[in-house]
Amino acid sequence: MKAVENGSTSIGIKAKDGVVLAVEKIVNSKLLVPGKNKRIQTIDRHIGVAYSGLLPDGRHFVNRGRDEASTYSNMYKEPVSIPHLMDRLGLYVQNYTCYNSVRPFGVVSIVGGVDANGPHLYMIEPSGTYWGYTGAATGKGRQTAKSELEKLNFEELTVREAVKHAARIIRQAHEDNKDKDYELEITWCSLEETGGQHQFVPEDLLQEAIKFAQEEDDEDDEDEEDTEMAT
Amino acid sequence: MNHDPFYWGRPSDETYGHYNHAIANAKSQIPTSHTQQPIITGTSVLALKFKNGVAIAADNMGSYGSLLRFNNIERLIRVGTETIVGISGDISDLQYIERLLHQLQTEEEVYDSDGGHNLRAPHVHEYLSRVMYNRRLKMDPLWNAIIVAGFSDDRTPFLRYVDLLGVTYGSLALATGFGAHLAVPLLRKLVPYDADYEKVSEEQARVAIADSLRVLYYRDARSSDKYTFAVLTFENDKINVDYKQDLKVENQSWRFAENLIGYGSKQQ
Amino acid sequence: MNGISVDINHLKKGEVSLGTSIMAVTYKDGVILGADSRTTTGTYIANRVTDKLTQIHDTIYCCRSGSAADTQAVADIVKYYLQMHASQLPPGETPTTKVAASVFQEICYTNKDGLTAGIICAGYDKKNKGSVYSIPIGGSIHQQEYAIAGSGSTFIYGWCDKNYKRDMERDECITFIKTALSEAIKWDGSSGGVVRMVLLTEKGVERLIFYPDEYQA
Repeated sequence: MKAVENGSTSIGIKAKDGVVLAVEKIVNSKLLVPGKNKRIQTIDRHIGVAYSGLLPDGRHFVNRGRDEASTYSNMYKEPVSIPHLMDRLGLYVQNYTCYNSVRPFGVVSIVGGVDANGPHLYMIEPSGTYWGYTGAATGKGRQTAKSELEKLNFEELTVREAVKHAARIIRQAHEDNKDKDYELEITWCSLEETGGQHQFVPEDLLQEAIKFAQEEDDEDDEDEEDTEMAT
Repeated sequence: MNHDPFYWGRPSDETYGHYNHAIANAKSQIPTSHTQQPIITGTSVLALKFKNGVAIAADNMGSYGSLLRFNNIERLIRVGTETIVGISGDISDLQYIERLLHQLQTEEEVYDSDGGHNLRAPHVHEYLSRVMYNRRLKMDPLWNAIIVAGFSDDRTPFLRYVDLLGVTYGSLALATGFGAHLAVPLLRKLVPYDADYEKVSEEQARVAIADSLRVLYYRDARSSDKYTFAVLTFENDKINVDYKQDLKVENQSWRFAENLIGYGSKQQ
Repeated sequence: MNGISVDINHLKKGEVSLGTSIMAVTYKDGVILGADSRTTTGTYIANRVTDKLTQIHDTIYCCRSGSAADTQAVADIVKYYLQMHASQLPPGETPTTKVAASVFQEICYTNKDGLTAGIICAGYDKKNKGSVYSIPIGGSIHQQEYAIAGSGSTFIYGWCDKNYKRDMERDECITFIKTALSEAIKWDGSSGGVVRMVLLTEKGVERLIFYPDEYQA
């Protein structure tokens, strides 16, 4: 749980027409290639995962998800439903709490996607507990992110708008950790925008979202300055 | 009924006494035989390279012996964004290969978030040839002949064949089944030498394939006049896939039959 | 020891087979399955009142043709798989016909060396309404608006193709199946007996039976 609390922030938003996942990727070294070393992964064509904590544990979790998803579709010839996948992954993660020969997962994962019943967003903890969310956040900046997520109107929100909000929320959640640079990674999955596939958002939309986040931030700063002047 | 799955499909002990396990373990008596026979089959696939692309076609028939049972079988499978796999032979194996290719795409393109590699025709062909030969080694072949059409990494047209034995070969003109006998000579007439595919235009290739399909419809008793035609072109650094379904074999000639009367000496 | 311990080869040879006429047709309210009732061993009629329409789930049924033993075993296994699948679905959801048909397909395909089974899987589910899948011998799967199968079906391909209409009314569809099967029974020695039907709709399952003096009219 410690590992997760200090991990970089991940968030998920369930909009009316799909889901958006975003992570704040702390740049630990100038030698890292920008835009590479992707953090958000795909379990099946229609399901994505973002996680905070021990990255190798996250990758192991994703591999298990892929196995579950392909076993399911090999038998039933249709994509696995997200609630069913979560049932299976919940069991798997929980099992790592049962034996002294293994340690529990060091990640909190946000799993999102679109299936035959529409969009779904889940967050699963090292204990194996998972809940369905409209907005989920984990990692260092989760408190800020959660309070920002609560302000969104999920009934009306489209994924296209959610992408911008995701960029803004990650930026705000990064405030407390300002000394380090970060890179933003956003994926989405929606019937209208990606044909039900989980994909990274196109570069122009990502840049637009980053610009939007910056402007919002500047406005906030101005507001703060105004209030300061008034006092 | 005894609900233990072990007893499913077996006579009840009360009525018949203990089950004779020799029946279930009858391996020694009936050797496991694999070499099946195709049941529902698709006939020829035709393909031809041209200057800046490949054309590939297959009809929509799925026949059950001589019964023309299904007329809606899609035998050209799209793999990734720039490859078409045309399959003839057993349809249940075709559907299996379709699932394998779907899984291959998921593993190679969907799981790879860093966007390293594209799945191209040579890779798909190599994969299929390994699958086909592996099953051949197990004496349990997938009863198909396959043509993979697409582009190599350097974007030159790629066309290669693999069949149930695991045999592979490439050529500027390829066809499976009946097409290998009837269509290849027609396509070859257009360009006798492999290297000369660059002299063929897209239009010439389209016409040649359409003409061959007509000849096959005349002479192959398991063919249909409804077909799918895909033309892949590489132009201005971009690959274009023109994939058309529900096409009909056109320009058929039958009227001459009126003057053919009797089979030897003159008749009325 | 007893009647069962016979040579396995002999058992395969004299196998009870469903030389059959079966069909399933989608219509306005859902889907109707129909079958004759004859089971033969060679030319001897082992059962003249067989029920070849087998329940897989609440509103998913299958018509069986080929080896009686094989198709019963496969149907039992699919039924079990579907129970497992249904138990893991969210409350209120039921398996789709497609899932049931896909399980049939998987089993028929992976065991194609040993099975003689031609199956039509048809059912009603909320999402797709009535749907019909044909799984012929090799283990391929084909979704169709209506499907016919079994030895008797060869005699009615033309008639069904000409007379099938989409979204038929209930009575119209029953007559369609009754006429088709009576014709199949008339020409196929391996089909006969009564005509059984199962109607699968939003309301659930309804069974019908027609006797030779009725359908031969």
